[in-house]
Amino acid sequence: MSTIHLSRVTLDFPIYGANTRSLKKSLVSLVTGGAIQQQSNSITFVRALENVCLELSSGDTLALIGHNGAGKSTLLRVLAKVYTPAIGRVQIKGRISSLLDLNLGIDGESTGYENIVLSGLLRGMPRKDIEANKKTIAEFSELGDYLAMPVRTYSSGMQLRLAFSIATSFSPEILLLDEVMGVGDSSFMEKSKQRMTQLVAESDIVVFSSHSTDLVRKFCKKALWLEKGHVKAFGLVDDVLKAYDAANPTASTV
Amino acid sequence: MPIIITEVILADITPSPSPQTFQVNVAIMDLYQGLMSWRIWWSLGWQDIRLRYRRSQLGPFWITLSTAIMIYSMGFLYAKLFKIDLSTYYPYLATGLITWTFISSIILEANEAFVENAGFIRQTCLPFSIYILRLLTRNFIVLLHNILPVLPILIYYKITPTADSVFYLIFGLILFLSIGYSFGLLLAILGSRFRDMKPIVASLVQICFLITPILWQHSMLSPKLQALMNFNPFYQLIQLLRAPLLGQIPSTNTLTYCIILALMGLSLMVIVLARCRHRIAFWV
Repeated sequence: MSTIHLSRVTLDFPIYGANTRSLKKSLVSLVTGGAIQQQSNSITFVRALENVCLELSSGDTLALIGHNGAGKSTLLRVLAKVYTPAIGRVQIKGRISSLLDLNLGIDGESTGYENIVLSGLLRGMPRKDIEANKKTIAEFSELGDYLAMPVRTYSSGMQLRLAFSIATSFSPEILLLDEVMGVGDSSFMEKSKQRMTQLVAESDIVVFSSHSTDLVRKFCKKALWLEKGHVKAFGLVDDVLKAYDAANPTASTV
Repeated sequence: MPIIITEVILADITPSPSPQTFQVNVAIMDLYQGLMSWRIWWSLGWQDIRLRYRRSQLGPFWITLSTAIMIYSMGFLYAKLFKIDLSTYYPYLATGLITWTFISSIILEANEAFVENAGFIRQTCLPFSIYILRLLTRNFIVLLHNILPVLPILIYYKITPTADSVFYLIFGLILFLSIGYSFGLLLAILGSRFRDMKPIVASLVQICFLITPILWQHSMLSPKLQALMNFNPFYQLIQLLRAPLLGQIPSTNTLTYCIILALMGLSLMVIVLARCRHRIAFWV
């Protein structure tokens, strides 16, 4: 039984300028009391999420919708426990697997096989299961002999196949995906959709962000519409999408 | 437009009343879970070594080779300069140099420990201490490589380990690694927050190499300077491993100093981690 419980989550994103990242300059401004370079020694905070409340339990599939910069990825990272919010409570029960960025968590110098083993270890799998997993991932990604080569030699499409295959091979209790649906060429896209259908059935909770209303309708029962870090609407997917489409008449055709 | 709040940098250091500013239990959990996930950092550490071998046939032996050349050429020259017998100077320099390489590469790599692992940090919620343990694993394996060119010297000059020196070597290594663990984590946090740490630390490390008795001997100093040198942490850290490698027992002074350093480091680590852990993901 997995649950996600967010109450009044507010998250400020610190934006560091070049000067605030420098120890030398920070020390200088500390000593001179900020007399030199007066405006530059400040950190800007962008409020990425404000007052987000969310409750999900087993069987829920949630789509995050909203414009670029609305806070979808940030919310996914809060759910993945990467970002700790400044205010509010986050309670998550269940094993999490996340695919938030296709380039993250894959080591370019290591081979495809080594990456499979490493990601298995990072997700706390026992060796035996990892070996079994190797075969399934190799089959699904269709990368064949390329898996024995360093990932940096892959094309971006191949890298994506590997990342998607790895992230979706672990049957987690909670699956978090960030705009990675519908990746690769058309045959792989079809395959990944099938894999998603299967995963949605297997996982307790699925949360993914997408700009494609088709995918959202296909996989999700619920939707959360974020705008400027606020929850604009939360509810059944059709209701939320209707409201979203009404507010954004041009954005719905994708 | 998102709401933008501007705050001066000092506010980043002084505590604010939000709930997650100081979480000792989270920090201790991070350290505990990090140690418990030994399978992860052990494999990651080995993977790093494997990759070094893949890029070149010699792998980490490149470092070994340069250490070996340095030991054998400099040893010969400096023994003449300092007018010390080769049988004393060679073992002294060799054991000192490999210990120094161990220390300095941990310090230099610790700066980038989190930045290097940004891919993992921004996607999963693994304990941060894992990345430090990975670094220690990797450098420990390199140390084992580096011991090879020292062995012929120790054998040739008949420096044999005693039961006591082996005990102190193991004890010293554990103490050394816990110091590396705590200060490594502190450096990694600073290094992810301040991006100019690496060049600053690199030049400091260079200076420390010269002012620490590695090429020259502690006994060459005047008694006053010798007493002062006891406060040099690098001297004490090197003594902690160099003495048992030379078949001796580290002095009580060294042992006390290193135990105090370890305790200080560990408590400082918990405090800083409790304060900063939730920010690291934003920093990398």
